[in-house]
Amino acid sequence: MAALTQTFKIPDSIKKGAKYSFCPGCDHGVAVRLVGEALDELGIRENTIAVASIGCSVTIYDFMEVDSLEAPHGRALAEATGVKRARPDKFVFTYQGDGDFASIGMAESLHTALRGEKVTAICINNTTYGMTGGQLGPTTLLGQVTTTSPTGRNIEYYGYPIKIAEHIALCDGTAYSARVSLDSVANIRKAKQVIKKAFEIQLQGLGFSFVEILSTCPTNWKMTPQQAHDRVRNQMMEVFKPGVYKDITADRN
Amino acid sequence: MEKNFIIAGFGGQGVLLAGEVLANAFMMAGKNVTWYPCYGAEMRGGTVNCEIVMNDSEEVSAVNKKEADFVVALNQASVDRFVSKIKKGGWMIANSSLAKEIRTRADINYLFAPITKLAENVGNIKMTNILALGILAKVSKLVTLESLTEALDAVIPAHRKNLIPLNLKALKIGYEYDLLPV
Amino acid sequence: MTECLTKTGKKVLTKGNYAIANAAVIAGCQCYFGYPITPQSEIGEFMSGKMQELKRGYVSAESELGAINMVIGAVATGVKAMTSSSSCAISLMQEALSYAATDELPVVLVSVMRGGPGLGNIYPSQGDYNQATIGGGNGDYKLIVLAPSTVQECVDLTYKAFYLAQKYRNPTVLLADGMLGQMMEPVEFGEYPYPEIDNSDWALTGAKGRPSRVIRSYGPLADDRCVFLNKLFEKYKTIEENETEWEEFNTDDADIILVSFGGPSRNVKSAMKECRRQGLRVGMFRPVTLYPFPSKRLNELAGITKKFLVVEVNMGQMVRDVRLAVNGKVPVELFNKPVGSPPEVDDIVNEVKRQIKE
Repeated sequence: MAALTQTFKIPDSIKKGAKYSFCPGCDHGVAVRLVGEALDELGIRENTIAVASIGCSVTIYDFMEVDSLEAPHGRALAEATGVKRARPDKFVFTYQGDGDFASIGMAESLHTALRGEKVTAICINNTTYGMTGGQLGPTTLLGQVTTTSPTGRNIEYYGYPIKIAEHIALCDGTAYSARVSLDSVANIRKAKQVIKKAFEIQLQGLGFSFVEILSTCPTNWKMTPQQAHDRVRNQMMEVFKPGVYKDITADRN
Repeated sequence: MEKNFIIAGFGGQGVLLAGEVLANAFMMAGKNVTWYPCYGAEMRGGTVNCEIVMNDSEEVSAVNKKEADFVVALNQASVDRFVSKIKKGGWMIANSSLAKEIRTRADINYLFAPITKLAENVGNIKMTNILALGILAKVSKLVTLESLTEALDAVIPAHRKNLIPLNLKALKIGYEYDLLPV
Repeated sequence: MTECLTKTGKKVLTKGNYAIANAAVIAGCQCYFGYPITPQSEIGEFMSGKMQELKRGYVSAESELGAINMVIGAVATGVKAMTSSSSCAISLMQEALSYAATDELPVVLVSVMRGGPGLGNIYPSQGDYNQATIGGGNGDYKLIVLAPSTVQECVDLTYKAFYLAQKYRNPTVLLADGMLGQMMEPVEFGEYPYPEIDNSDWALTGAKGRPSRVIRSYGPLADDRCVFLNKLFEKYKTIEENETEWEEFNTDDADIILVSFGGPSRNVKSAMKECRRQGLRVGMFRPVTLYPFPSKRLNELAGITKKFLVVEVNMGQMVRDVRLAVNGKVPVELFNKPVGSPPEVDDIVNEVKRQIKE
């Protein structure tokens, strides 16, 4: 009998026995796992400091076996900057929602990118404020009904949603900016590679790296997990197109 | 004994620097001293001034005092502004190159000297402030040329050290300016 | 004008702002993050050059929100770090201070007060006594607050701020004012006089060979939160017992005791001396720590003196703490100036005479 080889396991970067408190069908769990796998594969877990933000993403420190700091709403990249400047040898990443990154924290996010701060930001875009019950956020799609856009997002009252990865790619200090989706197994595999690439960019000291992850929020969207993933595919990916928007290493390869 | 000095003029006359040199000189002579500037919006346009309080026995407590023992006024606006703030028996040392020789008070001492003109004669109009310090040293008898020389060396930054000889010349000319009060 | 002080064996004449910055460098401050505001911009200007020269951390932050949160990030990894600002901009930092207090992080914040409220102006003021000691952040927390009155004390209390912040893992504020920040006096820096505090049991350095650590303020369970807050306030009690600091002069036989803190206390001291010269039994009390406030000693003195006169450059803020301390034993009166340079010595003397007659 051939020796058994373990081909699938919980990453070391995920806490033993941790039970996700995310809603069923929410992609946060997949995203956290991908981050954990990437840390494991790069062998950097023990040298990592994570900065959590406010919203559903705050609980990342309950699931990850890495040193973590919690930032006030919108300030994750300021705190990550402080961590990195104090300990340039550490691997530093933030885990934020779109409201945290692109609304209340827009100044911190853009300036961290412009400074070319050698940190990585992971931003979960689910087109709503999840933890507070599904209000309109910076990425809410035109026409989308939320608790604060009861007849759908219209331009007159709310203006337009922001395409985060494209904006971050415009900053000269950004070394890498990409958007991924978790709607299918194939896209989850792609997402993993993109996260890993973003981490490698930081390890190489090339500048700011950024990954926007399109994610579901079945609870606030009032959908089944299946419907929610269909929405990501059919509506979100139409507006927020997955892809690599900047990669300063691309020309060298 | 506590004495206070106001140095005033328009921006660019080196008023704050002169005050810093004077304060350093007091410190080097082992005295307690505080230098306090006007700053910010107060400095935009109009006059610039700073106050130096020297105490040879105890720590300097209050600054921004109502009255001064000595006022060095490098332009007319400064004379006008501070003449009423001089203690009885105190001194107004005024730059007659830029201020009229008008004595509005009988209870203070005046010394008018063409400080800007004298600085030009030294070879650099920017020496106006330091030349005025020379005059102040002679009039007040509270600070020596030696202390001021030492202070200049401390205050002038490394890349401007070549200006020290000119500063010392200005200081000396100020000190030797015939200054009997009228 | 850039000064490059660092360590000097002899006395140097320098501005309060430079004195604070240079003392921070000597204290081992590894990172400075700041955003400009008058009348404390010299601190950031000095640090921008100095920290780069020493290969330490420096960021011209995008805002005060950015600056204070960068400090939180840096101190969470166990290094000394600081920011400095003034009044309306310190208002912006209140949220982060609440987090830092709850996270028990040794943040050092230099607050150089200017006139308020709102944009106010850049004249000296003590209008942020309440902002520093009570705070505008949410929830129950305390900041240690130190108030210098001379440029030398700007140095000494900067050292102390770093030490107390580390010792108690508590945000600490050096509360100066525009007058102190801008004035020059002779100072001696010497060496950082305090021991280094071991932080290897809590700092975030990467979970190598140990379980991972989390620095967080989120406490979703009510019971856990009660336990946490009670423990936090036990720490504050220890701080109150061990770190309360004040100065008093001629209080033994005083009919009236003047109470004043920070830069304006210098004028009050002059006024007290002048009163004594005129044969009036006047004493003076100066809190050095505004939190912990020397309430106990003030209460004792209330048994000796007949009256307190609080002199402040605001509309009357510390006077409330004095009244709480004295607890109605004797009258506590206020002589204030809303904003600007301290009240003139003569004016204080006249007020003392008026108060004695009443």
